[in-house]
Amino acid sequence: MSETVDLSVDVAGVSLANPLMTASGTCGYADEYADFVDLTQLGAFVTKSVTLKPRAGNEYPRVVETRAGMVNSIGLANVGLEAFLAEKVPLLERLGVPVFVSIAGSGIADYVAVAGRLEGVDVVRGVEANISCPNVKEGGIQFGTDVRQVSRITQALKRVCRKNILIVKLSPNVTDVAAIARAAVDAGAEALSLVNTFTAMVVDTDTRAPVLASGRGGLSGPAIRPIAVYMVHRVYTEVARGAGVPIIGMGGIQFARDAIEFLLAGATALAVGTALFVDPGCLLEIRDGLAEYLRRGGHRSLREIIGSLQAAP
Amino acid sequence: MPGATQSHGRGNFRGRVLENRSICPDHYRLRLLVERFPPSCPGQFINIQCASVEGIVEPRQADRPAGRPPRLSQPELTSRQPLLRRPFSLAGRRDLAGGSTELEVMHRVVGAGTAWLAQLTAGAEVSVLGPLGSGFAISERRPMAAVLGGGMGICPMLYLVEALTAAGKEVVAFAGVRTGGALPLASAGAEPPSPAARPTMCTAEFAEKGVATVVATDDGSLGFRGLLHEAFAQWLAQRRPDGADLTVYACGPEPMMKAVGDLCLGRGIECQLALERYMACGMGTCQSCVCRTRAGGEPGWQFKLVCKDGPVFRAEELLWD
Repeated sequence: MSETVDLSVDVAGVSLANPLMTASGTCGYADEYADFVDLTQLGAFVTKSVTLKPRAGNEYPRVVETRAGMVNSIGLANVGLEAFLAEKVPLLERLGVPVFVSIAGSGIADYVAVAGRLEGVDVVRGVEANISCPNVKEGGIQFGTDVRQVSRITQALKRVCRKNILIVKLSPNVTDVAAIARAAVDAGAEALSLVNTFTAMVVDTDTRAPVLASGRGGLSGPAIRPIAVYMVHRVYTEVARGAGVPIIGMGGIQFARDAIEFLLAGATALAVGTALFVDPGCLLEIRDGLAEYLRRGGHRSLREIIGSLQAAP
Repeated sequence: MPGATQSHGRGNFRGRVLENRSICPDHYRLRLLVERFPPSCPGQFINIQCASVEGIVEPRQADRPAGRPPRLSQPELTSRQPLLRRPFSLAGRRDLAGGSTELEVMHRVVGAGTAWLAQLTAGAEVSVLGPLGSGFAISERRPMAAVLGGGMGICPMLYLVEALTAAGKEVVAFAGVRTGGALPLASAGAEPPSPAARPTMCTAEFAEKGVATVVATDDGSLGFRGLLHEAFAQWLAQRRPDGADLTVYACGPEPMMKAVGDLCLGRGIECQLALERYMACGMGTCQSCVCRTRAGGEPGWQFKLVCKDGPVFRAEELLWD
């Protein structure tokens, strides 16, 4: 081990020891992975989406594996805000890392109510507005695919988020992701998460019906990484860099090299999702791989490479 | 492990293949040597990554000399192995001197993951998450146990039978398969399986543990012709055991388990069922392996996770779709 490399990053005023965080929905609420990875070593912890009332979620089957990916349709199954505050927050307090709570709802009032309550929770440092879930009938993606709706919900949340930073999680299921990003930033988003899953379908050729009970779901995993990297880069160059808004990049990160692609493309922080299902320990392997990459490149700080993508040869 | 969070006695382990033996067409018995594996119980499972341990290590592209073109070998191109792990119920466990443990699972080739597993030979290494889920609860009071395994559902019963006999229970096994060739039979000297749903010392895996088996085959090629729960129903009717004496443990196709559950509930027999579900993580986070269970209040049911709340449930808990 030679000299140490500074992996710390700043996400809208929240200082992270390293850029690695969990992607919402793939890591539970707090300590579910405690047996498999030392969560205290993360840059930040992002919870599964919390809604005002508990949700049972969609019917089974909810996931199907694809080549280099998986399609899920969980349907925002979660314990609801009250149980989250009573049962999960005490566990989060013991992690000792900044916590961002993913929030969802079926209307703007729901999001605002959840975000408002989270203002009173010290361990929470930010809310990530999930306006891009493809798996619920109302709310979710309907907000995330329309610039006026993105603007409206972001403004409403901005009014209640004072202590907590406001992160908006973008859907990739749009024609122009930069236009959506601009709407969010103009309305007050302090950080952008991208991307959520791609709406997708897998067909059972024997029954000639969709495999998932809800018909369709969201594709995640290594299969989506090249599209996610492209979207991060576009949003970085067209919106985020100029506005000084950090991007939390995600979509198929499994190895350190995947993470480096996102950093070069303009992400400040990184979330790992589907790969956690295979091995939660990959978070720390990626972190160590980042440090090794930076050392080999002669860098002192990870921040030196953010957005440093070169022109194609 | 972090001191800040509670341990559930699970972890990610490296398993070394001791043996991967074909036991009948497409079926394999895999024995793994694992160091410091936590305590486990029958009904629990492990999640095996069906990909080479080398293949999941980060390719060291950073090693390439400056100025050389990049290799176009992304991890997903260098690996033709499935992304997600595959769950296997424990079919046995033996703790060895020095803190190592021998774990046994059985697998059947059904796709890319199990085809990869089938080609493993002794000395190969695999990544193992476990032990996962909740296992069977061995009844304190009831002296008799019937274990029912349909197809691959036989596997957890082998581990369970060991625990039951060690606890001094009187055990009878039921093994259901499509055809007789799919069942390893005891060697010469064993009585042939009875077509009248009477237990005999015929099925090698159970006979080794001193437990007689009722065999049911769909095609009648061996033992009882028909479904496993029909053989069980016939045995129950002939034997008329007192419901208070007997615990039934079953794992297999859902129609079989529902039928067994219904039979038991109607007679006051305690019944525990091990469910199977498609799952992404096995650790209780992906929320994909749901089953519907009874619950108080509205709407009268709730989803539970087979990987975490199960895979073993009491028959009276389950609401079948």
